[in-house]
Order: sequence, then C-alpha cells, then structure tokens
Amino acid sequence: MIPDRVAEVLQGSAWLQIGSRDEALRPAHTVAVGAVMHDDRRTVTVFVPTARSGRVLRDLTANGRIALGVGLASHEAYQLKGTYVSSRPTDEADRARQEAYRTALYAAALEAGYPEAIARPFILGVAYTPGVAITFRAEEVFLQTPGPGAGTLLS
Amino acid sequence: MGILPDEIKPAMQGVIPSHVVTCSRDGTPNASAISQVYYVDPDHVALSHQFFNKTKRNIEENPHAVVWLISPETFDAWDLELEFVRSETTGPVFDVMEMQIEAIASMVGMKGIFKLRAADIFRVTAVRKAVGERIPLAEIPRPR
Repeated sequence: MIPDRVAEVLQGSAWLQIGSRDEALRPAHTVAVGAVMHDDRRTVTVFVPTARSGRVLRDLTANGRIALGVGLASHEAYQLKGTYVSSRPTDEADRARQEAYRTALYAAALEAGYPEAIARPFILGVAYTPGVAITFRAEEVFLQTPGPGAGTLLS
Repeated sequence: MGILPDEIKPAMQGVIPSHVVTCSRDGTPNASAISQVYYVDPDHVALSHQFFNKTKRNIEENPHAVVWLISPETFDAWDLELEFVRSETTGPVFDVMEMQIEAIASMVGMKGIFKLRAADIFRVTAVRKAVGERIPLAEIPRPR
C-alpha cells in the first residue's frame, strides 16, 4: 500500500528516476516523465521517453526488478521497489498527464530557485513523446530523504 | 586520452542533480539522487558518500553503477557506466569534494546533514550521450 504522502509526491512535481538491471547485475538508469498510481494503491504506471526505453524494457522483461526514485526539489524523497507488470505505447490520456506533470515540475523548479534559463531547457526539453507507459507493482516503499531516517521501510 | 570527453565536465559542476543506480547482490536495483559527481581524471570519477545508505551497501556487494548527468550549458544528458575502485577519506580529491559538499549543503539548507564520509572512486567503463532523450534547444516550447 503506497502511503498518502508518497502518492501525493509521486503524482505531483517530483523528479522520477527508474533503476533496472540486466542478468549480469549491471544497473541502468532511465528518466520518467510523469507517473500515476492505480486505484489499488499498489500498482504504478510511469511514462518513459521511447528513446530511453530500450534498455529498461529489456531488463524488465528479463527479470522484472524495478526501482523508482521519487524526489522533490526540497530533498524530500522516496523509493518504490517492485515487479514489472506490462508496457504499452502512451496514449492521449497519458500525454495529458505528462503535460500537466511537466508544467508542475517546471513551476516547482522555478519556486526552488532554478533560473528560467536552466529550468526551461532542463525540464521542458525532455523528449517525452513518443513514450512508453510502464506498469509495475510496488512491493516496498522507502523513505529516502537525506537524514537519519533515510532507508526506513514505510510500506 | 581517456574515456571521458572534455564536453562532459560542465555536467559535473553540480548545478543540476545527478542520479545513480546500483544493484544489490540479490538483484534489486536502487535509484538515488547524488550530490556530486567529481571529475578525477579522464578515466575516473568520484561519487560523494555521505550516508551509510543502500547505494553504499550495494557498491560493497556489486561494484557496478550507472550515473546519469546533464550539462547545464548544452543540456546534453549522459550515462556513465562505472566500476567501483576504492574509497578515499583523505587526500586532494576528498578535500575538494568535502569543500564543495559543504557549499552545496549551505545553499540547499542541508548543513549538518550533508557531510562527506568518503570520496568513492570509480573507473568509467563506458560513456554514452543520451541521444534522443532531449528536444533540440531551439525547439523547446515556451511555457504557457
């Protein structure tokens, strides 16, 4: 069960980073552009630029292990770890979510003090479409905010 | 001539946070932001070890890591594949990273929380520009 605050951050203006690994335990990183939690509060879909999806999809179809780092500009951060369920091309509804996410992330970056000259190309410059919607089941949720509680299992 | 191109150096200034992914011995990946990726020489970088966290434990179990970073000048993004070599708790690399971590901590209100425990030195085994991840600068939309 994903806690309320984690769900709020996950679907809000957080940086989203996917971790996967291959059969030789070599890790890979992929950016995600938006996420949505399903009604069961365990299943999550993240949106990945197609250009960045090749390695992560190979890893996930081979072994299913996925980590999703979720962090705000304030350094409040969480990590979801789980198992791959499915993937499909993003559709119109996904793209609408992604556009709302990009707008919120851009506003948050400006609020956090990033100059427009960095925030705009950094955030709005991600080639988010075409994209792939990757769905996984979150099995563990960890606090990752720097400090003494980092690594605490929340759920 | 080493593996790291000169054009990647601005991405290591810490202007935009970088991300590191590691993997435990049992095959569970871990994705985390990282305060600092430090250019050591054309074949090595150092990552700041500030906490006894999952990233550190994973590196002790499995030396492979991947770092994603982005230049605040060109906005090119890069993936670095890394292999852990050693931790340094003294010396010139540690001293410079410690000074930079303290500066970052002051800027982001994390003084007393961000503290360098070690400079973890990694050999860079592959460098890839993240082609296709970014929209060309001239084509980035103006926010509505």
